[in-house]
Amino acid sequence: MIEVHNLEKSFKTKTALVKAVQKVSFSANDGKITGLLGPNGAGKTTTLRMLYSLMAPDAGFVKVDGLDAQKEAAAVRRRLGILPDARGVYKRLTARENIAYFGELNGMSADKIAEQTRKLSRAMDMDEILDRQCEGFSQGQRTKTALARALVHDPGNVILDEPTNGLDVMSTRGLRRFIQQLRAEGRCVVFSSHIMQEVAALCDHIVIIAKGEVVAQGSPEALCEQAKKTQLEDAFVTLIGSEEGFFA
Amino acid sequence: MSPLYSVFKKELRDLFRDRRTVTIQLMMAVVFGPLLLFGVMQLASDRMKNLREKAVELPVSGAQYAPNLIAWLGTQNIKAIKPPANIDEAIRTQEAEMVLVLEEGFGDSWRSNEPAKVTLVHDSTRNDTEVMLARIQGLLEAYSRTVGSLRLMARGVDPNIFQAVLVAPKDVASVRNRSGEILALILPYMLIISAFLGGAYLIIDVTAGERERQSLEPLLATPASREAIMSGKIFAACAFGLLGILLSLIGYKVVFSMIKTGVAINLTLPMIAGILLVLIPLLLIGASLLTLLAASVKSVKEAQGFMAILMILPMIPSIVLMVNPIKTQLWMYTVPFLSQNQLIVKLARGETIGMQDWGVYLASSLALAGVLWWIASRLYHRESLAISA
Repeated sequence: MIEVHNLEKSFKTKTALVKAVQKVSFSANDGKITGLLGPNGAGKTTTLRMLYSLMAPDAGFVKVDGLDAQKEAAAVRRRLGILPDARGVYKRLTARENIAYFGELNGMSADKIAEQTRKLSRAMDMDEILDRQCEGFSQGQRTKTALARALVHDPGNVILDEPTNGLDVMSTRGLRRFIQQLRAEGRCVVFSSHIMQEVAALCDHIVIIAKGEVVAQGSPEALCEQAKKTQLEDAFVTLIGSEEGFFA
Repeated sequence: MSPLYSVFKKELRDLFRDRRTVTIQLMMAVVFGPLLLFGVMQLASDRMKNLREKAVELPVSGAQYAPNLIAWLGTQNIKAIKPPANIDEAIRTQEAEMVLVLEEGFGDSWRSNEPAKVTLVHDSTRNDTEVMLARIQGLLEAYSRTVGSLRLMARGVDPNIFQAVLVAPKDVASVRNRSGEILALILPYMLIISAFLGGAYLIIDVTAGERERQSLEPLLATPASREAIMSGKIFAACAFGLLGILLSLIGYKVVFSMIKTGVAINLTLPMIAGILLVLIPLLLIGASLLTLLAASVKSVKEAQGFMAILMILPMIPSIVLMVNPIKTQLWMYTVPFLSQNQLIVKLARGETIGMQDWGVYLASSLALAGVLWWIASRLYHRESLAISA
């Protein structure tokens, strides 16, 4: 269970103060998939970084299972599985060693790590790559390794930043099934994406973010109704109020 | 397992998978310092021997005015050769090292028992002529003394009457002291550099490098404390640096056993232990300082920009001491680089270091490492560290 209340974050650049996130509020329930949908640069990654307490919000707060993400950062991180935008897999270590490293940093015993690794490897079909060094891994293999690493301590909440980035169709479908499995296990899953179809296919709850603000949120059906469109894509465009996107 | 140990183990495993880098780094540690030292010492001792005893050619102008002197110089292995046309010019352009000039009046002065003038033209700013100059001057003076004594005796005077004071220098420097003199210039600097920067590659790679490869974000998002993560990295760098130092000390030991000329020192086990005790705080200082720098810059390239300055830093105390030599005092043991320099020189000279000196040194150097560690850990808490690009 993740609750986000009135988050704000600005960055100083040479010329101006950029308001990356303004008054973002939503809650993500256990056993549900919550999608953060928005165009590039909308503030999704910054919001997620505040969720996993890597950044401190200028205002507002984040609570994970009722714990404040800033005041009880270590306890919060133990309850979170994090797949950041940059996967950051260590290329000279094997997939297994990458997973074990993060298990150790989460304070797990060697036996427990081995058991979790077996389970995750089976679920993501990565037995073949487990003992290979990550140098030369495909994008999909890297994502699998990073995801297994994020889930080694069996967290109740999972935060995935653009999880399907750079994956081919088959890997994307595999990953979707895996995310649904995480939901079935009762976990709270939050993920960000700029891909409409993906969010539509997976999410129970969608938070649409544009220019750092939440412009709408609700179930896919509710959003279509709110925008008076039948397709989610049209609803999305109507809700963020611009057609230009890439050319803006 | 504590996070600190996990990070320590992972960084070393990661590093040793990179075989080529490790091999190059350790080879440099073993080969570079000891071999350089060997080369320099061998060269120096060969050159000394050559210049002191070897037959040399000396351009002499006006050799015909003093055939006896020239003949005597010949018996001392100095062969007179034809002088260059323009003497001053030849010296200035380094065509000739020095020229002995005899003038026409030499014979007349000689016969009338007046001091006969000889001129030795040379350039005193050229270091390489020093030994040769001393040799020729020494020979000319010896010749003058011998002839002068003979003249006194011919007049029935005891030549000793001419010598009111007999200066007999008695050098108490032991053989070990003398060898320490040459080593004092090179050995401490080499060892200090290898301790101070031995872990530099690893530290820059696991701080600025990991940030560039974007693996620092997931690492810092784990529940492990930032202090533990940072310390694990620092200790890994120190361990690698220590390995380099141990290998280079073995290298020095081998090199010293190969030099036969008595300038070498015998690196005993207590000496090696002492040197390690001097260098371990420096390893911590270096690794903490580099962590601080690597955490405050944006890229590996920027971090490497500091390396040139860091290489020069340890030389400063040696240079200051060379220009302005002062006796070792207690306060020196609190100054980084100067303290290590003094301690290593003392150890190499076979002197004992008092408990008070050790105490002051260890306390002040570990305190400095602690301060640097603390500043670096503040930087590790900055938001911008985890986020790259």
